[in-house]
Amino acid sequence: MQLWPFVVYCALVGGLIAAMLGLSYVLGQRHQDRATGAPYESGIVSEGSARVRFSAKFYLVAVFFVIFDLEAVFVYAWAVAVREAGWPGYIELITFVLILGATLAYLWRVGALDWRSVPQGRKAR
Amino acid sequence: MLNLLWLAPALPLTSAVLLAIFGSRWPRKLVSLAGVGSIGLAAVASMLVAWSFLTAPPPGNAFVLPLWTWMAAGSFRPEFGLYLDPVSLLMLLVVTFVGFLIHLYSTEYMRGDEGYARFFAYMNLFVASMLLLVLGSNLLVLYMGWEGVGLCSYLLIGFWYRDAANVRAANKAFLVTRIGDTAFAIGLFLLFTQLGTLDIQQLMQRAQSQWPAGSTLAIAAAALLLGGAVGKSAQLPLQTWLPDAMAGPTPTSALIHAATMVTAGVYLIARTHVLFTLAPEVQLVVAVIGAATLLMAACSALVQRDIKRVLAYSTISQIGYMFLALGLGAWSAAMFHFMTHAFFKALLFLAAGAVIQSLHHEQDMFRMGGLRRELPVAFWSFVIGGSALAGLPLLTAGFFSKDLILWQSWAGLNGSIWFWLCGMLGALLTSLYTYRLVFLVFYGTAKSHVSERPGLAIKLPLAVLCVLSIFAGYLDTPPHFGGVPRLSNFLNSTLPALEEVHVGPVITEVTTALTASLVFLAGFSLAYLLYYRRRVEQPAESALARFWAAGWGFDTLYSWIFVRPFVWLAEVNRRDIVDSLYTALASLTQASNGLLQRTETGHVRWYASGLAIGSAVFLGLVWWMR
Amino acid sequence: MTASDLVALSPLILLSATALVVMLSIAIRRHHGASATLALLGLAASFASLRWAASVTPRQVTGLLLIDGYTLFYWGVLLALAAAVVLLAYSYLEHQTGHQEEFYCLMLLATAGGLVLVASSHMASLFLGFEILSVSLYALIAYLHLQRLPLEAGVKYLVLAATSSAFLLFGMALLYSETGSMQLATLARFYMGAPNAALGAAGWAGTVLMLTGIGFKLAVVPFHLWTPDVYQGAPLPTTALVATISKGSVFALLLRWFHPAGSLAGTPVWWAFVIMAAASMLAGNLLALRQNNVKRLLAYSSIAHMGYLMVAFVAAGPLAVQAATYYLLAYVITILGAFGIMSVLCSGEEECCELEDYRGLFWQRPVLAAMFSAMLLSLAGIPLTAGFLGKFYVMAAGASSALWLLLFVLVASSTIGLYYYLRVLVVLFSSLPEDHVKVMLPRGRVPAGAGFSLAVLVILLFVFGLYPAPLWDLIRGISAGIG
Repeated sequence: MQLWPFVVYCALVGGLIAAMLGLSYVLGQRHQDRATGAPYESGIVSEGSARVRFSAKFYLVAVFFVIFDLEAVFVYAWAVAVREAGWPGYIELITFVLILGATLAYLWRVGALDWRSVPQGRKAR
Repeated sequence: MLNLLWLAPALPLTSAVLLAIFGSRWPRKLVSLAGVGSIGLAAVASMLVAWSFLTAPPPGNAFVLPLWTWMAAGSFRPEFGLYLDPVSLLMLLVVTFVGFLIHLYSTEYMRGDEGYARFFAYMNLFVASMLLLVLGSNLLVLYMGWEGVGLCSYLLIGFWYRDAANVRAANKAFLVTRIGDTAFAIGLFLLFTQLGTLDIQQLMQRAQSQWPAGSTLAIAAAALLLGGAVGKSAQLPLQTWLPDAMAGPTPTSALIHAATMVTAGVYLIARTHVLFTLAPEVQLVVAVIGAATLLMAACSALVQRDIKRVLAYSTISQIGYMFLALGLGAWSAAMFHFMTHAFFKALLFLAAGAVIQSLHHEQDMFRMGGLRRELPVAFWSFVIGGSALAGLPLLTAGFFSKDLILWQSWAGLNGSIWFWLCGMLGALLTSLYTYRLVFLVFYGTAKSHVSERPGLAIKLPLAVLCVLSIFAGYLDTPPHFGGVPRLSNFLNSTLPALEEVHVGPVITEVTTALTASLVFLAGFSLAYLLYYRRRVEQPAESALARFWAAGWGFDTLYSWIFVRPFVWLAEVNRRDIVDSLYTALASLTQASNGLLQRTETGHVRWYASGLAIGSAVFLGLVWWMR
Repeated sequence: MTASDLVALSPLILLSATALVVMLSIAIRRHHGASATLALLGLAASFASLRWAASVTPRQVTGLLLIDGYTLFYWGVLLALAAAVVLLAYSYLEHQTGHQEEFYCLMLLATAGGLVLVASSHMASLFLGFEILSVSLYALIAYLHLQRLPLEAGVKYLVLAATSSAFLLFGMALLYSETGSMQLATLARFYMGAPNAALGAAGWAGTVLMLTGIGFKLAVVPFHLWTPDVYQGAPLPTTALVATISKGSVFALLLRWFHPAGSLAGTPVWWAFVIMAAASMLAGNLLALRQNNVKRLLAYSSIAHMGYLMVAFVAAGPLAVQAATYYLLAYVITILGAFGIMSVLCSGEEECCELEDYRGLFWQRPVLAAMFSAMLLSLAGIPLTAGFLGKFYVMAAGASSALWLLLFVLVASSTIGLYYYLRVLVVLFSSLPEDHVKVMLPRGRVPAGAGFSLAVLVILLFVFGLYPAPLWDLIRGISAGIG
């Protein structure tokens, strides 16, 4: 294994970063005014704090999206090789989709899909 | 039927465990039932085993019941098994049967005691351990039983632990026998490293084929085993613990310190007799130890005041006879004497217990007297047991077994006139101290008031043991009495047959028997004159008597040689120089603990960098070593 | 995929299906008892199918999984452990607020991950098993997410396990680039120095990185730092799971992969193992020395025990695998028992894991305290217990390979270990303090299920300590295949 292309690559990356930071430091102008530190919002003065708490529900939905969307990738992979995979592949995919369906059913039943603040199960108890 | 063998140790063990756990909550009746019943069933099982062993002897006259292999690692495969041959069968029968009688006796003797259940738990545990000792096919199992009986002995000597003297006696017994046990353990290591097994039969075969007679290894192994035997059987020079062991309840003294445990040393030597044959020097030492012990202990027995201490010294002396027989190569004679001794010594102890209990725990013989009419059962027990001990000719068991040893002390392999004379002198002393005891306790004027008389549970074992003390001798009678040496023949498949190397000119079998009878008569008459006619009321006060009464001053001697220097050393080393090393080690570990604890910060970032650092260290290692 | 392949996989399939069924049953109706029963039934069915699977083994199922006697043995062990955890978890979760049912689903999945790990013969399946196990454990550790400690432990485990997975993956990539194979058996040939199969720098580096990932799961020094925090934070049944199924399956994988490790002897990676073993034994025992929280104490002790296992692992010869397997078995039985007893004792929402909580336990709960003592004695390696024989075999394996330095460390650190086990014992049996307020499980009985599993564990502890022959023969049989 020849290491030198890797070394050159690393050196180039490092050099580029150093050049960007260094040049802007050398060439850039500096001033310290009242609004220098403020975030730039297209000329409009910003309102309130940026640290807003989002409801956890957003993350939940995002995670569901990631999960189910990602699983679709496997269906694509199967679709590409559908003839080679044949019937066993079909059965396997059906099993996979069924498991996903069961999961969806579960999520639906436990109330994860509802936009409510109290989970259904807790209320029931 | 032979497969029932495992029941014999298992039943008492189970009962011991149950009693230890639940005993304090069970009613007395249930405790007695468990304690006595388990031994009774064990005795029944042993008799069934014996029956089938005798009617249909297994091939080779030996039977092995493998139980399990504990841990197997390379050549170290301790296999737990029970080994039954004529010798262990004899031991098995005696232990279970005498054990049963003594347990039965204890139900009455111990009835008022608060530690009733505890007592039976210990006693059952003892019987189980003793059977393990006797039946173990492997020296490791035997050693387990050996330590088990030692433990039970300790527990029972100190049974009444509120009295400091009892605890001291228990400690003494434990420590003194420990010296022997350690020698035994070293002997085991030696045998295992040299011969590669601990299975007794294999061990004996390999020893015979690999070690020439008189080789150093054989001598070392035999000497180490002898060390163990001497400790357990209270022979010179480790005999000092047994008289003090009388602090335990009397049934304990009867079972452990007379009938069974103390003869474990005899059994051990008989079991490993091949080693001793390979080491004739050690075997001679065995005989010398036996002869010396029997004389020394008999002298001490002569001047004791305490009834139990007389019997204790007498036990030491009788085991001396057995050692003498072993040393002479008269293996089966030793086992014969073991059996008869178990019967009559158990009888004597139990009878002594009956006397002691009737007199409010009075043990001083000089405060007794005239009990012949008050306690007829105890009296007759003492007469029969004492006669057997002293060797009343032809009538009692003790005569035949002792006679065999006396004859062998001249005729046997290592026989000599000196051993013969020692044996005769010992017999004289035995007869003297036995009848001294009988006359002091049962004749003369009554000095103590008899408060209670023994009940059935005490009388029955006494009666059975009386019968055995008389008739057990006919198992093995010399040919010139028209008898057949049945027991010797039976044991001969395991132990070498008795040899008659020297015969005559003066000392023949008949003259030996006659001399022994005369000696018995002489002892009896002397006792009659001194203690019946003259009625000596005070123990002898001469210096010699004091010396003998104190067991030949061994306690003082050991105190000067071992205890005081040790105490002195301990006082000098009060600050404990050696310990400072360990303290330093302890502080070192504490310091490293403190140091390491700093790594547990609770910060994830540090934990993650731990992963990275560890990985980097190993990468560096791999890089460097590659 | 033939029918026989499916038969060979049937325990795994049944287990996964059970997880699904438990999940669906929750969707239909929540019921704690039903979920636990379903999980138990599934585990039993899976266990029963081991026999069936044995009829077609040994068998390579696709390129990923190798099902042979060794696999089936460990599968059986893992399934039995999981069943015991279900029984213990049931009584534990009864006292907790919040949902209880999902625990079983996640636990079954974690077990399935362990099964995959044990059977894996390919890097892909290795990683798959690793991740199924890890992801389930994240949720299981943080299961009581309304409490502070479990949540903290869960997040810590999440971050660190993900990091370790990254190490593992990078190591795999490096190894693949060097050897061109992802089959573990092929890789093992490289370690054993087969002709034309010398491993280059990248290969060794990849191995070390993979070991980082694996070492993290085993919690051996220096990858052990997470252990006490996670052990302490996780709910007790989860802690038991981490200590037994997670570590057991990873170790089984390692054992199969590197066996015979003796032929590694002298290689850099072998030295890495030796250092890990010695460091784990010493650090684990030293750290536990003055620990006052029993869970943390057992966590540290688990580090030391993994070190002992490593000693058998680096030894050579057939004895090594047998000793390691025996030790592992003895250890998981013991530690499961210990955590099980703690989970029975700690009723209510608050876990009582401080050493002081156990003061005088014997006088309140004699049977449980006696069981706990038996477990502690086994951990300390006192004779008549399984732990003693395990340690004995490990020492025998080490001695047969002349690893004297490691054995010395083992003996020295065991002595240190004795101290803290005895410390707990002393507390168990000391008399009750005068102002004794906190009473553990003041009345009521041990739940039947938990009691049953504890009794079985205690019996096994003594049976394996007194009569190991059948088990030992079984282990000899299954390890013959990989020796």
